[in-house]
Amino acid sequence: MSDLVLRNIGKTYDNGYQAIPSIDLTIEEGEFIVLVGPSGCGKSTLLRMVAGLESISQGDLLIKGDQVNNKEPAERDIAMVFQNYALYPHMSVYDNMAYGLKNRGEPKSEIETKVNAVAQMLGLEELLTRKPRQLSGGQRQRVAMGRAMVRDPKVFLFDEPLSNLDAKLRVQMRVEIRELQRKLGTTTLYVTHDQVEAMTLADRLVVLNKGHAEQVGTPMALYERPASTFVAQFIGSPSMNLIPSTIENGVLQLGVDSQLACPQFSTDKVMWGIRPEHVDIVPLQDADLSLQVKAVEALGAETLIHGSVKTSEDKLYPFVVRLSGNHAPDIGQPIGIRVPQQAWHVFDVVTTKRIEPL
Amino acid sequence: MCLLISDWLSLFMSVYFPQKLLPYLLLMPQLVVTAIFFLWPAGQAVEQAFYQEDAFGLSRDYVGLDNFTELFTSPEYFASLKTTMVFSFSVAFLGLAVALWLAVMADRVIRGAMVYQTLLIWPYAVAPALAGVLWWILFDPSMGPMALLLEYIGIDWNHFVNGDQAMILVVISATWKQISYNFLFFLAGLQAIPRSLIEAAAIDGAGPSKRFWDIVFPLLSPTTFFLLVVNLVYAFFETFGVIDATTQGGPGQSTTTMVYKVFNDGFVGLDLGSSAAQSVVLMVIVGLMTVVQFRYIERKVQY
Ligand SMILES: Nc1ncnc2c1ncn2[C@@H]1O[C@H](COP(=O)(O)OP(=O)(O)OP(=O)(O)O)[C@@H](O)[C@H]1O
Ligand SMILES: [Mg+2]
Repeated sequence: MSDLVLRNIGKTYDNGYQAIPSIDLTIEEGEFIVLVGPSGCGKSTLLRMVAGLESISQGDLLIKGDQVNNKEPAERDIAMVFQNYALYPHMSVYDNMAYGLKNRGEPKSEIETKVNAVAQMLGLEELLTRKPRQLSGGQRQRVAMGRAMVRDPKVFLFDEPLSNLDAKLRVQMRVEIRELQRKLGTTTLYVTHDQVEAMTLADRLVVLNKGHAEQVGTPMALYERPASTFVAQFIGSPSMNLIPSTIENGVLQLGVDSQLACPQFSTDKVMWGIRPEHVDIVPLQDADLSLQVKAVEALGAETLIHGSVKTSEDKLYPFVVRLSGNHAPDIGQPIGIRVPQQAWHVFDVVTTKRIEPL
Repeated sequence: MCLLISDWLSLFMSVYFPQKLLPYLLLMPQLVVTAIFFLWPAGQAVEQAFYQEDAFGLSRDYVGLDNFTELFTSPEYFASLKTTMVFSFSVAFLGLAVALWLAVMADRVIRGAMVYQTLLIWPYAVAPALAGVLWWILFDPSMGPMALLLEYIGIDWNHFVNGDQAMILVVISATWKQISYNFLFFLAGLQAIPRSLIEAAAIDGAGPSKRFWDIVFPLLSPTTFFLLVVNLVYAFFETFGVIDATTQGGPGQSTTTMVYKVFNDGFVGLDLGSSAAQSVVLMVIVGLMTVVQFRYIERKVQY
């Protein structure tokens, strides 16, 4: 049975703002689903509707087959980890974790066993008597996770749980969250706007744009076959190079002096794209396209070359090339690049949807 | 902007007033007012407390601690102490409870809060004597609307003869004015509590009232304690006007608080020595309360 089903879910706020027009999503038991999208796209809204903190304006929400639209958060048997952790500042770590169990009326001895077990799993044994203000950011984060885990809920909800941590800790906690979720096998809905987090954590990703799901799929599926220019630019870093072009008689007119053989598409006006990592540099005379170098970022293991491509309409489009190893092209000079056809992504200019060769 | 001015000021001071004269100059008006209207009369009162003056103010004799011993052996003084306690704690409790309740309501409809805030600040701007008169009229046994209403539901209201009713009336009048002040602090305190804490508690299975008592109330405790002290100080020392306008300490001594007794014994009974001794006792009490409060505030928030 599917664990969590969102059927035509929509949200219109009291002030009339429609944050989410309609979303359908079916989540299987034990799946790790990541909601990703730019700020204000409705990620938190969706999560809070699942949690019961925000009313559902339209559609059905099913948890383990039960319609829970009008149930209180507590009755939905979910647990949530907040961005600011929302630990009760006047309670010890132990009491923070035990609060939900106490409210359920579980016997003291059982609460103690459960809290201690989770504390051990998260390495919090030493901290149980401390107050939240006596903890570091990472420890607080862990306590917040512990509080969620101790109740053994049907669904975990995370709202940007790592965004208050420094970069190193974020990577560490990311790995830890993934491990814990695998071990516990609890269905998880995780909100982030960090695409690396999204790619590494998710079984399936949901890319949200202005309240609707642009694409749902595995991270690799989204990377390899983005359904729209929005997803193409959102997934992958640096993001995909996109250049509007035209196709005439089987020829793609890309740069001023660049004409590439091209299969036929349903439309002539296309948005052509390629990921920075799929581009090679070659001598100018062998090049598919020439690139005016503007800046070079040497990152040690790889080099990012930022430049621009001039189209036949005399417009400049930014273009990034990502190469492994160290390269030092001259800034201000043109370099030749090769764009292999199997790495192309083609989108409809008008609808921005992905299109395939006829 | 403020920073700029103070920077400039300190520069100015270091250049033109090497002896740091300016701070004292600037403080002067306040210091003068304090000296004339507080320190000097306070000194007078302390001195007076050791003398016995005849009713016409023609002569006075040094009597040592007589005024104080008389005070502490007088059952009337202890009656007024008890009255003060009942009165002050009732005012503080009622004022805090009602204000907290209103603040919780206002916090729920945050958008309405501005309206609430404006409306609820009004009573605070009303002079104490007026507040007293207002309630005095409302509860007037023969023509006050509240008294008539009470009579309608079977309560015989006459605070001129019933001491308990008189006490209730002064407590209400004194509390009313304080509610708006308390409300503002409570509302600010409530709005400083992150919403996510309440939401986390809701997910943890706590209903609205449990959330309030387990999460909100403990987190408000610094505000509550501060307000408790402020309200006690208010009820102890600043309610003379309300009592004078409402019950004049009566019937009998039933609403004669310590502050009212200072006035009554001094200006009506013309026993200036005893009156002065009583003010000295009050000064000590207010001093102690201030110390308690500062001690607490120094330790800051509890959790
Ligand atoms: N209570 C509310 N009333 C009206 N509009 C709201 C309310 N809460 C959020 N919105 C609006 O709904 C939209 C989605 O908000 P939401 O908080 O879900 O965004 P988000 O994707 O979580 O963004 P972020 O990454 O910044 O957290 C935003 O445009 C926001 O302004
Ligand atoms: Mg959000």
